[in-house]
Amino acid sequence: MIDKIIDALDVETTLLAKSEEEAKSVAIQYFKSLGFNDVDVVFIEHNGFAARVRLRAYIFRPGDKYVWVFGGDGK
Amino acid sequence: MKFVLFPLDPVHDVALKMLNRELVKRKHQVILLPPDTKMEEVIELCQREMPDFIMVSRTVGYGAAELLARFIDMLDAAGLRDKCKVVVGGKAITKELAAELGYDAGFGERTSWEEVIAYVEGRQMEKEKLKVKKNKRDITQGYTYRVHEPTFKQLLDKITDQILDWVKDKTSPAIERVKIRERMLEGEDLIEEYLKFCDETVVSYFKKNLLPKKVRFITREESKKFDQLIKSLKLDDRILRHTLDKPLVFVQYGTGCPFMDAMHIKVSEAWGADGVLHFDPSWGARCEGLLEGLLAHEEDGSIITLENLKLIKSSLDVSTLWCVRAHRGLNTPETILLAARAGADLTKINMVYGSLNGGTDPERLTVDGVYALKLAAKYNLPFDIPTNEELGGVPAPKAFAGMLVVAHLGVKLNAKPILKPLFCYSPDVMINDYMKDNYIDYNVAKVIALRQIMDAPIWPGEPIGFMTHTEDRIQSAMTTALHAALASSLRLDAITIASTDEAYARGAITVSARIDTLRAIAEAFRFFGQAKIEPTKRAEEYAQMIVNGIYETLEKVAKREDFVASLYEGLFGTREEGANPGRAGRGTVRKC
Repeated sequence: MIDKIIDALDVETTLLAKSEEEAKSVAIQYFKSLGFNDVDVVFIEHNGFAARVRLRAYIFRPGDKYVWVFGGDGK
Repeated sequence: MKFVLFPLDPVHDVALKMLNRELVKRKHQVILLPPDTKMEEVIELCQREMPDFIMVSRTVGYGAAELLARFIDMLDAAGLRDKCKVVVGGKAITKELAAELGYDAGFGERTSWEEVIAYVEGRQMEKEKLKVKKNKRDITQGYTYRVHEPTFKQLLDKITDQILDWVKDKTSPAIERVKIRERMLEGEDLIEEYLKFCDETVVSYFKKNLLPKKVRFITREESKKFDQLIKSLKLDDRILRHTLDKPLVFVQYGTGCPFMDAMHIKVSEAWGADGVLHFDPSWGARCEGLLEGLLAHEEDGSIITLENLKLIKSSLDVSTLWCVRAHRGLNTPETILLAARAGADLTKINMVYGSLNGGTDPERLTVDGVYALKLAAKYNLPFDIPTNEELGGVPAPKAFAGMLVVAHLGVKLNAKPILKPLFCYSPDVMINDYMKDNYIDYNVAKVIALRQIMDAPIWPGEPIGFMTHTEDRIQSAMTTALHAALASSLRLDAITIASTDEAYARGAITVSARIDTLRAIAEAFRFFGQAKIEPTKRAEEYAQMIVNGIYETLEKVAKREDFVASLYEGLFGTREEGANPGRAGRGTVRKC
């Protein structure tokens, strides 16, 4: 399935966290634990006890060799 | 025909009421039952009335399938199933579910009443007519380019005559290259001649096969596979504008890779974009000469080569308008030539913006710009004139004076200009506190002012809402949608929109971020439709202030009797205002 993603995978969620920094750290750690390496927090907004966060894992960057060009099987 | 319309639902019956309206209009006999009617009562009624169609509606809810199945069983037991056609409709209904439950037809979400009427009247083919047909538009059609006020016309005539007189005995490496390139495209082998006018980066590429940093070749195999992929993609035409005629919606691409660009374009088309703009890398604009071949790189902006442009063109839907920007760099005339050869519909030229935002030297870009305008006329490419120097802080009246000079010059050279004011919360607005309690007045004022001066198409960008976007997806989509609604309210010809990644600087724009704003705009257009956003009376006051400012600027430039000197000396914007004359190509203009 991941081979068919055009560029990136975004996940939006709300995390319980004491600070924006904590939420950011937890979010990135979570995505990395799932095996994504090219990870960033696109947007984060903390308010009191929770943070709304948009996490991104780039599957393909511009200039990459895209698996989807080759029919999704990478060959 | 006779119909019984039965909402198998405790509350909801809107769809059936709409169908009732249309069936009655067509002189059919209809019995519309209220929600919460018992099935037994419906059966009894149908036995008495013997309708041709029993139409059942059901929204989502627990046990919906069981209820619908029970109703069919009851019809069967009452001997009605074979005598009436039974149709079911509702959000969660699919054709498959309807068939499985024993219904003659099922209509789900996104069904129009026209489709249902066509079905019951036996006109299934009518559905074809409901399909959207997108056509390519000429944005400039219907405009006269007349300058309304004689005082403005006199000033613009004087300035543009002076420019044409000044450039007539001048040439540049870009002009020499484009002349050679034209002959090369006719089959002549003139690469050695071409390279005499190029920087080392381009020379090394051709002579030593050295690629600039982060640039890679796209292989023939990749290209072949990509071509197959593009040809296999099918999409239904979609228009964002609802009942509106304008504005056309453009998306600017330039991921760095033509494959990624093409995929972003295809998705944008699928979600309703009318046009796309090619955004080139900034280093390309500061380098004499262009590369060749299918090339991708890892940074913003996609490399201008004829092969890259042709690949993009091959991916475009026939209805999609395509603008290739040529406005600011050392390859301005040549870009227009390649754009025309690749089949572009539009281009972008503005000597003032291009030379005042730290880009190209004003003298050089004036010489190249005039030649570029002649090429735009020769190849019938309407050109838009951006005023993005406003983003640096240049006040709108000065930026607009420059835009109008280029527009009038274009008209004199038989090209077709499109005015492109910035439509946003710009530094000019922030510094001068022009939009205290709304983001409407000063943007409206810009349009009123321009319309007061010249009869020309207006296409704000680039993109609309710029500087108000944040990294928040909802906020960015909302900002874009509201600016789009304002543009439609003013009946503008086109807009260039942002993605919701526009303010995100740590990575590439994703295609999902493009869909966000396209969806938001469709909703805004649907919400406002033919209704209008009402500015406050300040808009008229600001408009007059802008008109006066344009006049003052043009008067000073005309009096200076030297357009290029006016650019260097800050008449179109001072350094303090953020207008910094560019240095690229300085000292390269030659007498010819």
